Amino acid sequence: MKIPRLLLFVILVAISYFIFKAPGIFLKQPIPSSLIVMYMFFAVVTILLWMTSTEEGMQGLVGPIKAMIEDPSKKTLRNIVFLIVPLLAGGITYMQLRPTYEAPVELRSIHPAPPSTVKVFGKTFNLMTLENPYRKVEKEDPAKFAQLVKEGGEVYFKNCFYCHGDKLDGRGHYAHGFNPLPANFTDIGTIAQLQESFLFWRIATGGPGLPKEGAPWISAMPIWENFLTEDEVWKVILFLYNYTGYVPRSWAK
Amino acid sequence: MKTFLRVVIFSLAVIFFYTFYASSMIPQIRPAPPPVEAKLDLGAMTMEQFINLGDTIFHGKGTCELCHNPVGGRAPLLDQVGKRAEERLKDPRYKGKAKTGEEYIRESMKEPSAFVVAGFGVKGTNDTQSPMPVVTSGAIGLKDFEVDAVIAYFQQKAGVSVTVQLPKEAPKQEAAAPAAVPAKSPEDVVAKYGCGVCHKIAGQAGPIGPDLTKIGAKKNKDYLRRAILDPNADIAKECPTGPCVPGIMPQDFGAKMTAGELEMLVNYLAKSK
Amino acid sequence: MKLSSVVFKGAPLLKKKFITALCLLAFLFTPLFLESIKLLPMKAGAAYASEQTAQAEKPSGPEAKSEAKKEEHPPAPKLTEKDYPQVKYINGRIMAWLVAQLHLWFAAFVLAVPILVFIVEAIGMATKDKRYDKMAYEFIKVSLTAYSITAVFGGLLLFTLVIFYPDFMKYMAGIFSPTILAYAFLFFAESACLYIYYYGWHAMETGFGKWMHLTIGWVLNVVGTVLMFFANAWVGFMMSPHGVDAAGVFEGNIWHAIHTHLWNPLNLHRTVANVAYGGSVVGAYAAYKFLSSKTSEERAHYDWMGYTANFIAVSALLPLPFAGYWLIAEIYAYSQQMGITLMGGVFAWLFIIQAVLIGALFLSVNYYLWCGMERSKGADRYTKYIKYIAFVIVACFLVWFTPHTLILTPGELKALGGPYHKYLGPLGIMPAKNTAVNIMLIFTFLSFLLYRRCNKVATVSWAPIGNAMQIAIFVAAIINIATLGIYYGYFTNTVYKVASSVPQVMSTLTVIIACLIIDVFMFKGAKEVAPLQWGKMPDRSQYALFLLAVSFTWLMGLMGFIRSAIRQHWHVYTVFRDNSPDAFTPTIGYATRIVSIGVVIFMAIVIFIFWLAHISGKKSVSKEASH
Repeated sequence: MKIPRLLLFVILVAISYFIFKAPGIFLKQPIPSSLIVMYMFFAVVTILLWMTSTEEGMQGLVGPIKAMIEDPSKKTLRNIVFLIVPLLAGGITYMQLRPTYEAPVELRSIHPAPPSTVKVFGKTFNLMTLENPYRKVEKEDPAKFAQLVKEGGEVYFKNCFYCHGDKLDGRGHYAHGFNPLPANFTDIGTIAQLQESFLFWRIATGGPGLPKEGAPWISAMPIWENFLTEDEVWKVILFLYNYTGYVPRSWAK
Repeated sequence: MKTFLRVVIFSLAVIFFYTFYASSMIPQIRPAPPPVEAKLDLGAMTMEQFINLGDTIFHGKGTCELCHNPVGGRAPLLDQVGKRAEERLKDPRYKGKAKTGEEYIRESMKEPSAFVVAGFGVKGTNDTQSPMPVVTSGAIGLKDFEVDAVIAYFQQKAGVSVTVQLPKEAPKQEAAAPAAVPAKSPEDVVAKYGCGVCHKIAGQAGPIGPDLTKIGAKKNKDYLRRAILDPNADIAKECPTGPCVPGIMPQDFGAKMTAGELEMLVNYLAKSK
Repeated sequence: MKLSSVVFKGAPLLKKKFITALCLLAFLFTPLFLESIKLLPMKAGAAYASEQTAQAEKPSGPEAKSEAKKEEHPPAPKLTEKDYPQVKYINGRIMAWLVAQLHLWFAAFVLAVPILVFIVEAIGMATKDKRYDKMAYEFIKVSLTAYSITAVFGGLLLFTLVIFYPDFMKYMAGIFSPTILAYAFLFFAESACLYIYYYGWHAMETGFGKWMHLTIGWVLNVVGTVLMFFANAWVGFMMSPHGVDAAGVFEGNIWHAIHTHLWNPLNLHRTVANVAYGGSVVGAYAAYKFLSSKTSEERAHYDWMGYTANFIAVSALLPLPFAGYWLIAEIYAYSQQMGITLMGGVFAWLFIIQAVLIGALFLSVNYYLWCGMERSKGADRYTKYIKYIAFVIVACFLVWFTPHTLILTPGELKALGGPYHKYLGPLGIMPAKNTAVNIMLIFTFLSFLLYRRCNKVATVSWAPIGNAMQIAIFVAAIINIATLGIYYGYFTNTVYKVASSVPQVMSTLTVIIACLIIDVFMFKGAKEVAPLQWGKMPDRSQYALFLLAVSFTWLMGLMGFIRSAIRQHWHVYTVFRDNSPDAFTPTIGYATRIVSIGVVIFMAIVIFIFWLAHISGKKSVSKEASH
C-alpha cells in the first residue's frame, strides 16, 4: 500500500518532533525549546526538499492541497481548513505572548573564558601556565599523594559539601535553594573538560569573580580566597579529580 | 516581471530569515566596552586602576624596589606597611605629625627622617637620619597623586581598607615629555637617571652606593663603562652602609641610555679626580 | 542550437572535468609561486642583509641608524574622541563598514569572474565546443560593469576613511605609501588587460589570436590577484602588525610590514573564496535567465550555464573550510588573546550562525543535484537513495549547529539539574562538529556521484567489483572519521581536542579522489540509457542557486565583520588604539542587521548590472537578426 505523500509528510514531521521530544520525556534530559524550534525548522525543510526533488513527489505533495482549494466538491473540507488554520495561528501567537510566572531565560556561558592572569592570595598567577604544584607528586610518591588527596577531602567536607554534595554531584543540603545550581563534578561536562588552573581561578574568586560578559551572574559560590589557603585550594582540586576519576585537561598529550 | 518579483521576494525572505535568526534566536551578548586607558583620564579612574598605578610606580618610576627588597636588606620591607603604619605611630620614638596610617606613610615618603625604623638609619646617626631620598623631589619626582597611588597600593597589599581618596581631576600633563630628550650635560645625565639617589656625585649625596666624586683617580674609562652597563661585573668593597651587595644597582642602563649619554657620563667620571 | 550539441558525450565531459581541475590548481599555486619570485629582489637588497644580522645577533651596530629612522617615522598617535570628525546624520563607522563591505563584494566578484572566464575559455578551446566561448563572453560582459562599480566603491571607501579616520589613514600611508603607488599602477594595468580582453574577444577568435587572447586573460588574472594581495597586506597589518615596534614606530622595512603573520593565510582564503563566490553569483544570473527564458534552447543554455557555474562554486567551496582552518590556526599562533576572543568569547555565537548558513549551502547544493537527476529518465534507478542521503545530511547538520552553551529556561534548567546536557553536551564540542561536517561532505559527494551516473550504465566487465570498491571506501572512511572523532573528542584529556581534524579531512579527500578515479574508469564508454536533457529542470530547483548566492553574500559579510571585529578597540592591533566613540564591539544582532542592509544594497546594484547586460544583449541579438 502506498501512503499518500501529504500524509507521509505529516507523519514524518510528527516522528521528527517525537524524536526531539523523547529525551525529555523518557530520559529526563529535555532538549531546550529554543533548539527544538531550530531542529524542527531544518527537519521540515529537509523533508520538503526530499519530497519535492522529483516531479512526481512534488505533484503528490501539492496536488491534494491544490484540489482542496480549487475543487468545488470539497467545499466543506475547505471551509473547515480555512477556519482551523487562522485559529491555530492565533492560538500559537497567544500562547507565545501570554504573560507567565516563569522567570525570563538567562544565558549562562558554561565555561567563560578565563582572564590571562588572576590576582589572588596577594600574588599574580598566570592562568595560561599555572599548574597544580602537587600534581607531580602523583607519580613521584604515591603514598604522599594519597595523603594530600585525603587532606583535600577534609577541606572539601569542611567547606564545599554543603552545596556540592557528599557525592560531588551538586546535590548538597543547600543546593536546592540556589539558582544556578551548584556544579556537578561527576558530570563529564564539568571538571573533566577543564584545566586545573581554571578550577583554581573559579574556587579562589568564586561567583563574584566571574567575568561580566557571561550575562547575569548570580552564583552563590563564595570567594574562597578569603577562607582557604592557596595550599588547601590545590589539595581540594586533587581531591575533586581523584574522587570523580577524571583527569584534568592538559596542554601536552 | 513575475519572475523578477518572485526572485526578489525569495532573496529578501532568505535575508530576513538570517537576520531574524541572528538577532532573535541567538542570545544577544553585549561585549564589554573597550577598557578605559589608565593614563588618559585620571579623573575617571577606578580604585583598582589607581592601585595598579601605585604598583607600577613602586616597581618602576619610584625606584622604591631598589632598596625595599629582600635581597639587600638596606631598607624595611613594605609588604605589610599598610598595617604596620598604625603600630609605628604608637612607637615611643615617633615624633612626627601623622595621626593615621595613611598620613604616616605619606610623611615617610616626603620626610624620610621623620621616623627611622631601628637599624636602617645612616651610620653614626643613631637612627635619626634616613638614607632615603625624598620621593617628591630630585630624580624621582613623584607627584602627589602618585604618592597617593603608592599608599593605596600598600594598603591593598597589606589587606587593610584603602583610605586614600581618588584624584579628583586630571593634573596638568607636563612631566613626561622632557625625559625622552637626550641629556645635554653630564649633570643632566646624573639627574635624569637618578644616580644621586644612591651615589655621592655631581653635588648630590646619595648614601647607598660608593662615593663617585674621586672615582676618576682610581678607575679608567673601560672599568667605568662596564660598571654602568653591567653593574655586577665588579663589586666595590666599601659602601657607606657596609660592604657592597651585588644586584642593587639597576641593570638596565644599557637599554635606557643613549650612546651619547653613556660616553658623556663616563668622560665626566673619569675626569672627577 | 541543435539538441545534439546539448547532449554531453562521455569523452569531452571527462576532458572538461580534467581541465577545470587543472585550471583551479594552477590558480591556487600561481600566487604562491609569484610570492617566491617577488621575494628575490628584496632579498638581494639591504633589507635582507639587515634582517639576517638582526636574526643572528641582537642589534648592536646599527643603533645610530635606527635612531635616524625613528626621526622619520612617528609612533602611532594616541587619539582622543575629538580627533575623529563627526558628520551630522552620518555614523562614520557604519558608513565605512558598508562601503568597505560593498567594495569587497564587488571586488571578489570582479576578481573571480575572470578566473571563471579563463577556465571556461580554456575548456572551450580544448573541447572545440563553441558554447563555452559564448558563455565566457557573457560572463565577462557582466563583470565589466561590475568592475567600474568596484572602482567607484573603492574611491568612496578612500574618501570615507579620510573623512572619518584622518589620523589613522595618515599613519597607514606613512608606512604603506610605496605599496599604494604600486596599487594604483596595478589598477591601471588591470583595467588595460580587462579592456583588451573584452573588446578584443572577437578580433582574436581564431588560431594564434585565440592563444594570445587566453594569455591576456592569464595576465589579467595574475594582475588582479596581486592587486588583492596588496589590499590583504594592509588588512593583515592591521590585524597582526609586523615591522613596527610596540609604540607603532615603523622600522623602515616595507616587506616586513607587508609580509605579516596573517598575510598568506588571508591570501589563500580570499582567493579560494572569491572563486566560490564568483561561481555562485554567476549561477544566480543563469538561474534568473533560465526562469525568464522563453524558448527551450535558451532554457537549455542557461540550465547548462547554471550547472557549470554551480559546479565551479562547489569545487572551490570544498577546500574553503581547510583554508579557513589554517587562517584561524595562524590567528591563534599570532595572538592567543585574539584566538580566544574569536572562538570562545562573544564571537562564539557567530560561528553557530555560520554553521546554520553553511548547512543551508549544503542543503541547497544537494537539492540542486537531486533535481538535476530529472534531466535524465535513467535517474529513476537512483532516486530511491535520495531519502537516505537527506536523512544523513540533516542529522549531521543538526549536530553541526548544536551550540555548546544551551539557552535554557529556568524550568529546563531545573529539569536538567544544571546547565549541562547529558546528550547534547558532547555534540556541542569541536570533534563532534568536525565529524559531522566531514560526513556531510562525503554524502554531498555521494549525491554528485549518483547524479553523474543517472544517464548511463557501466559496461566494463568489472563494474560490480568497482561498485563494491566504492562502497567499501565510503564505509571505511565513515567508520574512520567517526572513530577518530569519538576517540579524540571524548577519550583523551588533552586540550587539543581538534587533533582528529586533519586525519578526518584526509579521509574525506581520499574518498573523493579514489571514488572519482574508479568512477571515471568504470564509466569509460558506458552505455547511455537515457540522454541528459538540458533545460528539463523544474523551476523550483533554480531557487537553490539563488539561495546559494544570497547565503554566500551574507556569509561573506558576516565573516568579514568577524575578521575585522576581533581587533576589538584597535585600529592596528595592540599598536594603534581606536578611541572613536564607535570603538565598541557591537552585539551580533546589530552586526547582522548592518550586514543585511549591505546585502540588500549589493543585490539591488547587481540586479541593475544584470539588467544593463540584458538590454545590451538585446541590441546585439536584434543586430544579428537583421543581418
